[in-house]
Amino acid sequence: MQNDTYHLSFQGGTLILKNARIDPPAPFQWIKAQWRCEAYHYPLLQDWLRNNHIRDTVPRWVHPHASLLDERAPHDYQREALTAWEKHERRGSIVLPTGAGKTFVAIHAMFRADCSTLVVAPTIDLLHQWYARLVNAFQIEIGVYYGGEKTIQPFTVTTYHSASDLIAEHGNAFKLIIFDEVHHLPAPSWGEAALMAPAPFRLGLTATYPEEHEQTDGRWRVNELIGPIVYTERIDDLVGNQLAEYRTERLRIDLTEVERQRYEADFQIYSAFFRSRDLRRTHGARWLMELNRLSAFDPDARRAFLARRRITELLSAAEGKYRALERLLREYSAEQTIIFAENKKSAYRIARQYLVPIITAETKAAERKVALDRFRAGQYKVLVTCEVLNEGVDVPEAKIAIVMGGTSGAREYIQRLGRVLRKVENRKAILFEILARKTIEAQQSSRRGRK
Amino acid sequence: MLTGELVRPRLRQRGSTLTVEFVDTQSTHWQRTAAELIHLFAGQLHQPHSIWDTVLEQYEGERIDYVVIRGLAKVLEDAATFRPIDTAFPPVQMREHLLTYGPVFPTADLFNPQSRTDILSRLASELKVSVSDLEQAMFADRPSEYLLREVGLPWTAEGLLARYNMELARGVLYWASEMQVELHDNYKDFWRYLKLFKLMFEAAPVLKGGYQVHMDGPISPFVKSTTRYGRQFAAFLPALFLGKEWQMTAKVRRAPNEDALVYTLDQTSPLHSHFKQSGLFDSKLEEDFAQQFEEKFGEKRGQWLLRREDEVILMGDTVFIPDFSIIHKKDGRRALIEIIGFWHPDYLRRKVDKVRRAGLANLILLVYAGLNLTPDKLADVPSQVLYFPHKPVLKEVMAAVEAYAL
Repeated sequence: MQNDTYHLSFQGGTLILKNARIDPPAPFQWIKAQWRCEAYHYPLLQDWLRNNHIRDTVPRWVHPHASLLDERAPHDYQREALTAWEKHERRGSIVLPTGAGKTFVAIHAMFRADCSTLVVAPTIDLLHQWYARLVNAFQIEIGVYYGGEKTIQPFTVTTYHSASDLIAEHGNAFKLIIFDEVHHLPAPSWGEAALMAPAPFRLGLTATYPEEHEQTDGRWRVNELIGPIVYTERIDDLVGNQLAEYRTERLRIDLTEVERQRYEADFQIYSAFFRSRDLRRTHGARWLMELNRLSAFDPDARRAFLARRRITELLSAAEGKYRALERLLREYSAEQTIIFAENKKSAYRIARQYLVPIITAETKAAERKVALDRFRAGQYKVLVTCEVLNEGVDVPEAKIAIVMGGTSGAREYIQRLGRVLRKVENRKAILFEILARKTIEAQQSSRRGRK
Repeated sequence: MLTGELVRPRLRQRGSTLTVEFVDTQSTHWQRTAAELIHLFAGQLHQPHSIWDTVLEQYEGERIDYVVIRGLAKVLEDAATFRPIDTAFPPVQMREHLLTYGPVFPTADLFNPQSRTDILSRLASELKVSVSDLEQAMFADRPSEYLLREVGLPWTAEGLLARYNMELARGVLYWASEMQVELHDNYKDFWRYLKLFKLMFEAAPVLKGGYQVHMDGPISPFVKSTTRYGRQFAAFLPALFLGKEWQMTAKVRRAPNEDALVYTLDQTSPLHSHFKQSGLFDSKLEEDFAQQFEEKFGEKRGQWLLRREDEVILMGDTVFIPDFSIIHKKDGRRALIEIIGFWHPDYLRRKVDKVRRAGLANLILLVYAGLNLTPDKLADVPSQVLYFPHKPVLKEVMAAVEAYAL
């Protein structure tokens, strides 16, 4: 009977020896009446398992035999990186500067290893980007595992946040794990994923490998979990001068009379509270959190908080903004245009009203890919989104960007634009900012402009 | 279950202990709030979730106790069923088709000869649906568009408040790294739910009776106070309230760098489990056996006492809880009884495996003769085996008890 034999199995991120007849070696500990160790020791146990004729029920990984449809040949440095990693028993990190094609290297690594692979990305946006790249490269169904969607396939992408849940349940289904932006790994809860996986093959990708002192922050060192750095390339000019050339135009609209009255009334409440408390001085950048905290027991704070929320809602729904948006859409209807709405509600309103595709945190991987692909191909002229197309994400090029007011920070603002707008045939791209005159957002925008 | 942000504001720290502030289920203020929310929610039947969100926001108004209001609302929502409307085509497909026309405008012009209305009516007639169906279906797969189909439970104000308190008590455990329970009854359900929520345990008998159980998950011993099993602890918690005598202690860290605080609960907490208690007897055979015993030896008539599932045989990662213990009134000798009745072969195989591993000399197995469980299959089991054709013969059982009790 299977239960009686001496065997190694995988459970919740650990390896268990059942019916042990001899005491196992070091990483195993006798815990709760079982010999147990963290799953990442798995490759080191191979010889011992063989020599002692212990049945190994851990691996559930497969050979997908996927064909690679990307015809671009790797650059020399990409090929060297791959060879170095393979020579190192497919364990270790490759350090390449931003823009040097890390994803491309990873896809070739997956193709050549031909085994079930899990890709761990830092954010949901990057997860979607990986998904799209893998679908294009392999033309097979790709698994997606995070809060909104959970499917497992031989090639699956997840986030650091969801990785340990996935691995606790399905860790032994993957022989190769690719950690994108591997410098995130030392964080305590994120390293758990690498610790809980039996995968013998591991590939870390980053532009900035963590320094020694950054590694000791958590319990684990990246080298121990992934393997050493196997390849480093520092071509500073790889990135080149890709920053787009664009000009900014500010469209200032007036609130309607009714909007203005409501705005002033709420602004009164809000600013009176701030004059009396001055949270910005006492709490700096965390003033909004403090206001939120206070509003659970201080009625004045609660009223100020609500007034602020109503102001934000009013500004994002201001009629003048939608009229301005419509004028721009009519005027530039032949151009590739991306609209950044202030929030989800406003984004869906725009999508519905103008029948344009939308991408938000709710949009699932497959639909998101279709929308971005069609936008790139020019089949969709307009794309509306709120806050998802962030830092480091492959956003298709656009000629026109329309930012609907908004209160997002300056840094995010610049990053969004740099990535989206490309000069096409000497015609500069244009960024339109639609702002309500004489409101808090007009002030914020002029602060940005001065920087 | 509540979200973390609905629990955090209710946490209270005193020294190194952590408590959660319950609402008074008898307070007129909270009873009125609960009743109003139940009423408002019931009125939302067949409405989309987004409308309910607006209604709730309006109800909150400027009240500063909005954390409780949202918590109560969350309890209502969790018990209810929200489902998308049925559409002729999946909304994703519909969008991929519909949105190729954009941008469209309310009025046609030189460059956009068709207005939004033109396009929608054309598509609607192509698909043989109405324009309003089309509008409704466009984003019907958004959770905020799901309709409230069933309220779920027949709530009372007090019932809702009580359940909210239970959810608060559970929520504290989201940030727990381990849990320690001492229990003196309720063994069967305790281990049943432990298994259901995939928790790991280490148990030891307590001198004065009962068991001390330490609970965590597979990776816990290897990582410093992980909170990855917090939601499982929280899910499990109501199982404790099925017992009459127990204490729970958990180590909770509200932030990764904070010191662990101690969170305790016991049977005196004013909470009630909504988990189902398993029946007193698993089968008619057990019930008949207990009844027959009472008739012949109950009260003061005999030397032996019959107890239901009151001993837990600890077997590493699992437990074996025999159906009955029979205890001698004077010298305290014990025999254990397990009735093996009309069972499914798989279950039977696992049970025999367990009994074999338990290796108990004072266990008496009462085996239904109609089962294909011949003596040779039980040859390596050190326990006593009695076969019965219809029901166990009490006289034979008691003879075995006298002979093998330890």
